Amino acid sequence: MTFKQVISVKKRFWGCMMNPKNNLLIGAIVAVVVVMSYDVGVEPIAFFEGLPNLGIVAKEMTEFKSEHWGTAFWSMLETIEMAFIGTIAGVVISLPLSIFAARNLSSKFVYAPLRALLAATRTFPSILWAILFVIVVGLGPFAGILAITLYTIGFISKLQYESIEAIDFDPVEATTAIGLSKLQLIRYVIIPEAAPHLLSQILYMFDYNVRQTSILGIVGAGGIGFYIINYIKFFEYGKAAMFMLVVLAAVLAIDWISVKIRDKYIMKAEHGRQLKAIN
Amino acid sequence: MISSIFIAWLNSEFFISTLKKQDSSSSISTMSIVQMSGVSASYDSKDRVLKDVTLNIHRGTNYAIVGASGSGKSTLLKLMNGMMTPSNGVVLYNYQKPSLKNKEFKKSISKIGYIPQTLGLVKNMSVMDNIMIGALPRISGVKSFFKMFPEDEIKNAYDVLKLVGLNGKSKRKVYMLSGGEKRRVAIARALMQKPDILLADEIVSELDSVTAREVMDVIHDAQKKLNLTAVMIHHDMNLALEYANRVAVIKEGEKILEIGVEGEQIVDFQTGNFSQEEILGMYDES
Repeated sequence: MTFKQVISVKKRFWGCMMNPKNNLLIGAIVAVVVVMSYDVGVEPIAFFEGLPNLGIVAKEMTEFKSEHWGTAFWSMLETIEMAFIGTIAGVVISLPLSIFAARNLSSKFVYAPLRALLAATRTFPSILWAILFVIVVGLGPFAGILAITLYTIGFISKLQYESIEAIDFDPVEATTAIGLSKLQLIRYVIIPEAAPHLLSQILYMFDYNVRQTSILGIVGAGGIGFYIINYIKFFEYGKAAMFMLVVLAAVLAIDWISVKIRDKYIMKAEHGRQLKAIN
Repeated sequence: MISSIFIAWLNSEFFISTLKKQDSSSSISTMSIVQMSGVSASYDSKDRVLKDVTLNIHRGTNYAIVGASGSGKSTLLKLMNGMMTPSNGVVLYNYQKPSLKNKEFKKSISKIGYIPQTLGLVKNMSVMDNIMIGALPRISGVKSFFKMFPEDEIKNAYDVLKLVGLNGKSKRKVYMLSGGEKRRVAIARALMQKPDILLADEIVSELDSVTAREVMDVIHDAQKKLNLTAVMIHHDMNLALEYANRVAVIKEGEKILEIGVEGEQIVDFQTGNFSQEEILGMYDES
């Protein structure tokens, strides 16, 4: 950067900072944040005073016994299984629903009520659905799977019908002119055109569901969350923290696998090449 | 209002019966496949894209429509395959009014090979899957849903692949192909329809002259082998004169010239005979 450019950037920066309109807006936002923080009881001093407690947790983590690793591993595996089953079941159910909910494929009398129903399933987080399903099917992973499935249906259906509505219209027009039936149009044009988005959405949903399933145990719906909440209840914070680290490791591993799958299938399908860094 | 609709309907029915009588007196090879009489069309109620266009396309003809961008050329094709209906005048394909609402016409729509300017290929699917789309109207819903294609259709597809010069590329995804290859896939899909007529909208406009001629040769060969009628939209008058045996020039929605190309001879059907240079000059002015 030349000296002239540095001066020019500086001038622009101070010009922006000295603008009374900008300053008024920034001031208003800061005032709102301060008032709201006071209202909900934000206490920064309490945070700094409590920080040494983290040291106690860290010390307890070192006392974590090797026999607990088995429990952590198997409960995490159960969590991943629940998330996987819930995601797949949700996607399978949401695919036909998203076709009926797409405005460019269905009539208003079909898509409007269906969209309302799907919006209702998204209204509550999966933990609230889990409470409901624990009442219906009892304690255990099955209630959690049902909760994850229901939430996935609402979420994936929305993403899918939006993808379907946004697909390239040219192949649709070209194949309509050939005389394809609606079923053939969906099978050979709509689904393949929306498929790259679908794979991306499934990966995102699975990632999200693993994190959600990790806390479903809090309400007795199975998974690693059951152990975390119980350790917290009995003040065994070290064990709880170690189990949380297992969740973190699993989520990072799933994220890494997702990136690999995205690169291999989605980037290629959408752009005809692998993702490259911009120099 | 009702009387004017009735008169318009009466005129169109009279037009159909007259054309049928005219054609029955001539041989099958010269029978018209597309007829347009006094056709106007618009995308909104204000501006007319086409104004009073009359065309008659005979079977087996290679018919070119030439004109500047926005002159209404693509609209003409959309009127022929029923993607649009005229606001005035009569359009007939095989003596049927092309419209997606017309049940009789919908039965024959699979016989109209249509290649839009954008090609309309499904980019995430393989070349073979894209080509098989052309055969789908002949295959039952359940079989096509599970991709259980009849043996003869698969053989057809490989024959068409060979015809368009895409041998050995059947499993490639469309996004992996070059511009010229994509056009060949679109031609193959249209040929898989076993069409009576091929409508192609500026299929070579974005290609270099060598590739453009290669693609045009593919269509020309297929047309000869399958005895097809082709209606092709071009930007390049030279290319139109080289491949077509009849050329219509459209300017601002009106047909200003229709010429027949027979070897070196150019026969004008509207305003007298012109030399090739004069016609090219006329096109430049348009």
